[in-house]
Amino acid sequence: MSAFAPRSAAELADWLAARPGRVRLVGSGSRAARVGAPAADVHEVRLAGIATIDRLDAADQTCSVDCGLPRAELDAALQPHGLELPCPGGGTIGGLFAADPLGAAAHGGQSPRSLLLGVEGLLADGTAFRSGARVVKSVAGFDVHKLLVGSEGRLYAATRLHLRLKPRPRAEAWFCRDGLSDADALAAFARLRAEPVGPAAVQLRRDRHGCALVGRIAGRAAFVRGQLAQHGLAEAACAWTDHLAADAPGEVVAGLARFTAVAGLCAAVPAAATLLWHGGGRFEAALPDAAASDALLAAAAALGVHARVVATTHPARRDRGSPIDPGATRLAAALRTALDPHGIFV
Amino acid sequence: MASVEKRLSDLLGARRVLTAPDALLAWECDGFTVHKARPRAVVLPESTAEVQAVVRVLHGERVPFVPRGAGTCLSGGPTAGPDAVVIDLARMKQVLRVDAEDLFAVVQPGVVNVELTAAVRHLGLHYAPDPSSQTVCTIGGNLAENSGGPHCFKYGMTQDHVLDAVVVLPDGEIARLGDAGGPRPPGVLDLLGVFCGSEGTFGIATEITVRLCRDQQAVRTLLASFASMADACRAVSAIVHKGLVPAALEILDRATIQAVEASVYRAGYPSDAAAVLLVELDGPPDVIAEEADEVRAAFAAHGALRSEEATDAAERKRLWKGRKGAFGAMGRLSTDLYVLDGVVPRSALERALDGIAAIGARHGVTITNVFHAGDGNLHPNIPFDGRDAAETARVVAAGREILQLCVDLGGSISGEHGVGAEKLDHFGMMYGAADRDVMARVRAAFDPHGRCNPGKALPSRGACAEPAKWPQMVARVLDAERPQ
Repeated sequence: MSAFAPRSAAELADWLAARPGRVRLVGSGSRAARVGAPAADVHEVRLAGIATIDRLDAADQTCSVDCGLPRAELDAALQPHGLELPCPGGGTIGGLFAADPLGAAAHGGQSPRSLLLGVEGLLADGTAFRSGARVVKSVAGFDVHKLLVGSEGRLYAATRLHLRLKPRPRAEAWFCRDGLSDADALAAFARLRAEPVGPAAVQLRRDRHGCALVGRIAGRAAFVRGQLAQHGLAEAACAWTDHLAADAPGEVVAGLARFTAVAGLCAAVPAAATLLWHGGGRFEAALPDAAASDALLAAAAALGVHARVVATTHPARRDRGSPIDPGATRLAAALRTALDPHGIFV
Repeated sequence: MASVEKRLSDLLGARRVLTAPDALLAWECDGFTVHKARPRAVVLPESTAEVQAVVRVLHGERVPFVPRGAGTCLSGGPTAGPDAVVIDLARMKQVLRVDAEDLFAVVQPGVVNVELTAAVRHLGLHYAPDPSSQTVCTIGGNLAENSGGPHCFKYGMTQDHVLDAVVVLPDGEIARLGDAGGPRPPGVLDLLGVFCGSEGTFGIATEITVRLCRDQQAVRTLLASFASMADACRAVSAIVHKGLVPAALEILDRATIQAVEASVYRAGYPSDAAAVLLVELDGPPDVIAEEADEVRAAFAAHGALRSEEATDAAERKRLWKGRKGAFGAMGRLSTDLYVLDGVVPRSALERALDGIAAIGARHGVTITNVFHAGDGNLHPNIPFDGRDAAETARVVAAGREILQLCVDLGGSISGEHGVGAEKLDHFGMMYGAADRDVMARVRAAFDPHGRCNPGKALPSRGACAEPAKWPQMVARVLDAERPQ
């Protein structure tokens, strides 16, 4: 495997136009364990060198940033302007949007797909194109940029992303309520969800120590204080967890579950394992072995919950899980063929 | 072999297959009335299975087809040519499921936007996207157009509220795009994201799962009048700069105010004002009380002539009446109205409005403005007499310049009406040939034969550089109406 680290979109376009063979696009490599190692003949293209903030328009609450910009650098640049990118996740901005590993942090919250206004991208042959716009609202043209989200770099290389930003709340407080039973945690969660203005972020973590409810309440100071008091929550250090890891031979199963399915998931995950459910609907479970993963996948199927293996030491088991709708599978294949007919991006 | 119409009648019954020329009149255009064409036939299916059966017949016979909701689109999107069959989804108007715990509803595409909210109101829930036509437009049409509305500044557009859709693809196969738990399960492309806003060219959604929102505890609606449009725009910037996210931020200019006040939509707006700014806040009562104070401070800081606040639901309805009736009120001004739809960065609103005024003066046309100020989504309206070819040509030229101005300021040629047939010729203002070709590849993945709503949303190859087709449409209409 060879590696190439372009410093600009133009350099990457030229390199792709020379038809180098199969390519894997990589940001900071923070999700390498989730995607597995590429084949020996695959070139790794590290995009972390394309990393400038092209435009930060605080008045319009939008920005245009290069794909390799670290999330932390964007956050730091936004902070003085009282703005934020209100979705969870780290790594590079391009990697965050291409993987969309977490969705929204709370029900109805902002996810990468709702914050992506447009892209400048490169097809596998180096052809440059644009989709979307820099303004917060545009319905001109097909939203090819939305196809970036979750594509894991297998449709095109997004070299610049136009993003919608939001004002930082006047006040915020993280809370962590632990040592709960499953039932008590779910009941507390349900009460929070029932608020007309729910938490900005919330997750349920269940491990061998019991259940914990972690979240962030944001708004005006009096509102934040009132919500904490009303729900019997104490302000605490941020204990939010993006992802779970599993040591071999363990595996991680990830999926998408409605709130009413979470009780079933809790019951299906062994007490010695760890379950993490984000309020936006995504969940992860770190399981001790393949048998436990298969048991959870079977339970998820019975619950009508989408789930698949996302981290494993057995390449053949990666992506094992819920069947994808045949029509959607066909469309996904057609889109891959349409945008990358020679299967360059892997 | 039986004709296509006969085969469709065998599927749906003769009463749900319309072919008589008079019967087809109602489908010859949408809200973009300049572009008219009578379809070959109209079919009225009532289920996913019927839509699938119809599409299979049409696909097999290589007949183009056009899905249609309520026909409120303003860009000619659902207007079919004489060789195409309209698949009208208005009879598919059942709310199939409401889940108050997981906060979603499953609906057929013909459910009227406001009726979905009516169906869940007793649960303290509502469907957030609220296009101005919400009393008539359908959820299926909203999905096809990625509709917005006054409240999308805070709550987002249709794309942000659709979780799942069962879609009949142009070859008659069925695909499920999404999941009731969320629009994109892990490991799956965001097919729903690209389908939404595809203007009926990627297939026909027959079951749509949408997110429901909890009703807010309180709503406050404020109105301020200003001596200049610039002051009103600066007040908007000040409100946003404070970090406030009102549910709506709407501006009407002097000509629109006067049209509204002289119409049945009279709302008591001050007729001497150069602009009025309507601000709606929603949330916990204590929170929006503080926010209302900050909004009033922004009004004052930017020279508001006066401001008022709705004190009850009736007052709120009155303040909104003028805004929601603005387009209808324009109907008094002339026989025809060109409703434009462009977007600029919010910070460029003043420059855009100055530029629009200059364009109007240069072309000798009157331009009024009512717009979603929070989103920078402008709706310049040009009243004109469509029977006057010279005036019509000036209107078309002014419209084109306005959209070019939006693009030059860093914006878009459409914020919510879509490209449809109307803006095919404006597409090149925003996109180049490579951009168009990539979009065409995506379209071909859904519809390789190009039979689903052909000729819409995306210009044909090379068309980016062609002269405007819209004036040709106008000319054609004028020719047709001219006494022989």
